[in-house]
Amino acid sequence: MKKSVGKILLVVIPLIISIFLLYPTYKASQLEKLKQEYLEKAKQAKNPQDSSAIIESFEKSYGEELINARANRIKLGLDLRGGMYVTLEVDVFKMIEESAIRDAIDDIFIEVLEKTKQEAKISDEDVVEIFKRNFDEIARPKKKYLSDYFDFGSESETEDKIIKKLKENAEESIEQALQVIRQRVDKYGISEPTIQKIGQRRILLELPGVTNEREMRQLIQTTARLEFKLVRNDENLVAAFYKIDEFLKKEKEISKGVPKIPTDTANKLQEIKSIDTTNRQTTPKDTNLTEQQLDTTNSGELPDTTDPYAGLSQEEKSKKYIEDHPFTTLFVTNFLPPNAERTQYQRDVRFYNASQVPKGEYDFEIFDEVWNKFESIINRKEIRALLPYDVEILRSAKPNIIKDNKGKEFKIYSFYALKREPELTGEVITDAIATYDPTTNQPIVTMSMNTDGAEKWARITGANIKKRIAIVLDNLVYSAPVVQQKIVGGNSQITGMSSPEEAKLLKIVLKAGALKAPVEIIEERIVGPSLGEDSIQKGLNSLLIAALLVLLFMIMYYSLAGVYANVAVLINVLLIIGIMAAFQGTLTLPGIAGIILTIGMAVDANVLIYERIREELEKGRSIRSAIDEGYTKALSAILDSNITTFITGLILYFFGTGPIQGFAMTLMIGILTTLFTAILISKALFQITLNMGKTNISFGQPKQVNA
Amino acid sequence: MQFFKKPNIDFIGKRKLFFIISSILIGFLILLVLIFGFRFGIDFTGGTEIAIRVEKDISTDQLRTTLTKSKILPDEIKSYGEKNQFLLRFKEVGEDAAKIETALLGILKEYSVQILKKDTIGPKIGKELRFQAFIAVLFSIIAMLIYIGLRFEFTFGLGAIIALIHDVVFTLGMIVLFDKLGIINLEINQGIIAALLTVVGYSVNDTVIIFDRIRENREKHKGIPFAKIANLSINETLSRTVITVLTVLIVLVVMVFFSGPVLQGFAFTMTVGIIVGTYSSIFVATSFVLWFMKKIKKLNVEEDAIKQVAPSKA
Repeated sequence: MKKSVGKILLVVIPLIISIFLLYPTYKASQLEKLKQEYLEKAKQAKNPQDSSAIIESFEKSYGEELINARANRIKLGLDLRGGMYVTLEVDVFKMIEESAIRDAIDDIFIEVLEKTKQEAKISDEDVVEIFKRNFDEIARPKKKYLSDYFDFGSESETEDKIIKKLKENAEESIEQALQVIRQRVDKYGISEPTIQKIGQRRILLELPGVTNEREMRQLIQTTARLEFKLVRNDENLVAAFYKIDEFLKKEKEISKGVPKIPTDTANKLQEIKSIDTTNRQTTPKDTNLTEQQLDTTNSGELPDTTDPYAGLSQEEKSKKYIEDHPFTTLFVTNFLPPNAERTQYQRDVRFYNASQVPKGEYDFEIFDEVWNKFESIINRKEIRALLPYDVEILRSAKPNIIKDNKGKEFKIYSFYALKREPELTGEVITDAIATYDPTTNQPIVTMSMNTDGAEKWARITGANIKKRIAIVLDNLVYSAPVVQQKIVGGNSQITGMSSPEEAKLLKIVLKAGALKAPVEIIEERIVGPSLGEDSIQKGLNSLLIAALLVLLFMIMYYSLAGVYANVAVLINVLLIIGIMAAFQGTLTLPGIAGIILTIGMAVDANVLIYERIREELEKGRSIRSAIDEGYTKALSAILDSNITTFITGLILYFFGTGPIQGFAMTLMIGILTTLFTAILISKALFQITLNMGKTNISFGQPKQVNA
Repeated sequence: MQFFKKPNIDFIGKRKLFFIISSILIGFLILLVLIFGFRFGIDFTGGTEIAIRVEKDISTDQLRTTLTKSKILPDEIKSYGEKNQFLLRFKEVGEDAAKIETALLGILKEYSVQILKKDTIGPKIGKELRFQAFIAVLFSIIAMLIYIGLRFEFTFGLGAIIALIHDVVFTLGMIVLFDKLGIINLEINQGIIAALLTVVGYSVNDTVIIFDRIRENREKHKGIPFAKIANLSINETLSRTVITVLTVLIVLVVMVFFSGPVLQGFAFTMTVGIIVGTYSSIFVATSFVLWFMKKIKKLNVEEDAIKQVAPSKA
């Protein structure tokens, strides 16, 4: 018996270790169940005090235990517990664009940027490198240097230093994105998220339990660049809009060539056009229509006596007006569906001077359907040149929804010309609170600023009383209130959210700070909780059925030796899961497949050994020496075969993603534990049996009748 | 129990027959792949896949009509695992995919629809994953060649690699065949690549066991012609080969039927790969080594004991 102590320990110790390693997993699941019971009770409690007392009592007696157990339990992959797996790419490109000196940006630079953007879309190469290559190709032959566009102070002495600085900035913006997103995810309250940088400029997020994709997208992707900008919806802009009208009209005429209209009508039109143009230039008052005036124009009467449309029918007048004003007729003032027939004589300028707008300013509105068209027009290089150089046009975040008399809904956005240079940016924000507007009961976010910001804010508001300041978040105008008085103390608020949830998200992103570079979701996998539960159930069922069948087969084929092999396999499975728990590995569905596969393959080592032992027994060796020989001779084959599988496991681990890595992990752990259990544990069992005085162990071989 | 009692089957003598069988099968499957090509999953093409479960009974066709009416046009609709579970595929990614999902939930409200999973893969990632998968398979083959070359002789390494390529090509061909026949939904995705790599490991594993025996027998039975040694070794390991393939097959068949839709492609690929891997280790790998020694190295394998032994031994 004494001889066997070491052998017994060899069998028992791994068993104890694996049970020890798996205990926290068991404990955690028990405590989770208990917690659910408490929560159920809390829900049924009569008043909030009672229910919070119940929850507190759980936290008091089990809270710490649960935290500890959770920390050491085996982690389930997203495919089993449900959740979101997201790969983000940081858009470094934007950073390059913004580091450039604004006034220096010219067509050459824009061309370089465009090309860089296109290339970066399809390649994982360092964006700064792509930019450098394109700059060398396009800008350098035109005698342009990086120092013409970038000014990093003393650091920008040489071209190399500028590139180096850009790379540093890129690196920084990726790191910053990582931090900001981590903060946002933490504040959102996701338990056990994984956030890590992978590759050049990617961030991998694993968010267990999260299935609200929309909110998550908002939380992650919102750049949260908050800016306060002056509104410039003034007469200069209106004049520019008319220039655009003319430009587009002329362009259309040129592209059409000779108008295909009967000559007499064409002549007439030509005449009318010339009158029309001069008319507009000489009487800018024409654009200053008030709402009242609009009402009169709608009724068909014209305030102008010099009517260029005289002599045309209503329909023709309307048609011609649209032809003459291809740009401004995209706008909305009074309600008219975008596809409705414009039978009415619409001579109105389609923007107006609303009463709630400061004097001399206009309100512009546009249908959702035509916004893209509008945007593509104003983004054209030739047209941008017609607009005041220091403004940009942005639309409101939320549309106004209007119903026509048939009940059909239309979305109408406001758009604003804003001074390009922001007066103040979100960096001064120290805190944000999601709350409700006491008067309108709409969700709002109130923000407070640091002292520096508050000072600036007071100065800006003081200098712009009775003017509008737009609050812009990620290039969308949330509100553009008229400054009534100088605001001291650094408070401001954002309105225009559609739901309290949105306000809550906004609060989180404002607090966590803005992303220096926007991020793009390039891969997204969501597993709903029910599929996860299904998968666990099915995975466990397969594991049990497969194990049962293999174990049965082994006993049938090898009898007692088969039982020993089975003991080894069972300890093997326990060890695999135990080691996974110990090394904080994640169990995925492919991981379970790996374990099931290991059961099938683990017996291979024992099969190799047992077949050898049978051979040796047939040669007439004693049972003890046959066993020794069998183990020795089978060893090299076992090693070789397992090492090849291990190599594939390694390759899978390094090339695979997420769940596949889980498979590779269990496969590799499985191979190591197999070598240990199949060789050492089963041998120990044989030796214990022999030491107990048994002289014959059945290897299931048929009785040697002829021997 | 014993399946084979001292088997003495002339595998090596019939190697020409098996060579022809293998060639015809592989040729046919390559042709199949060339004609139909692989169907890649969104892992590799980019796009969106949404798996849904509805509570009311609905057929795939009904679902298609319902969706088409509402101008939602999935590229593909197929059943997913169980009754009333469907997998919808769309080309769209990003915001557009999110919009489709919202619309889907609205349209199928009356069926109490539930999203089981949703995968959106950007085209860039798809391209990268495809490249990675290719590199992974290539790397694993090279790694095997190096390992066996070191443990045995180069000729053996080559034999194992030929068997391995035979297995990979055969498995890929069967994937296309079964997918085309509509028996099981098999598009090349990450799971199938993982299975393929595991097949690579297993195929070599099986072959190595036989090579190991050949190495041992060459030392034990000096003077016996190499061809005989090879045949003896295959016979001696036959019992082990069959038992192991059986146990692995047991678990794989269980997986095909019980593990749900996520692992089905994986389990199928493994099953085919394990069967062909076993076949090739018996009929292809050793035969190739013999052929190589005879034709390339001009050795008389039928009569001479080939003296060259493995450079190293564990």
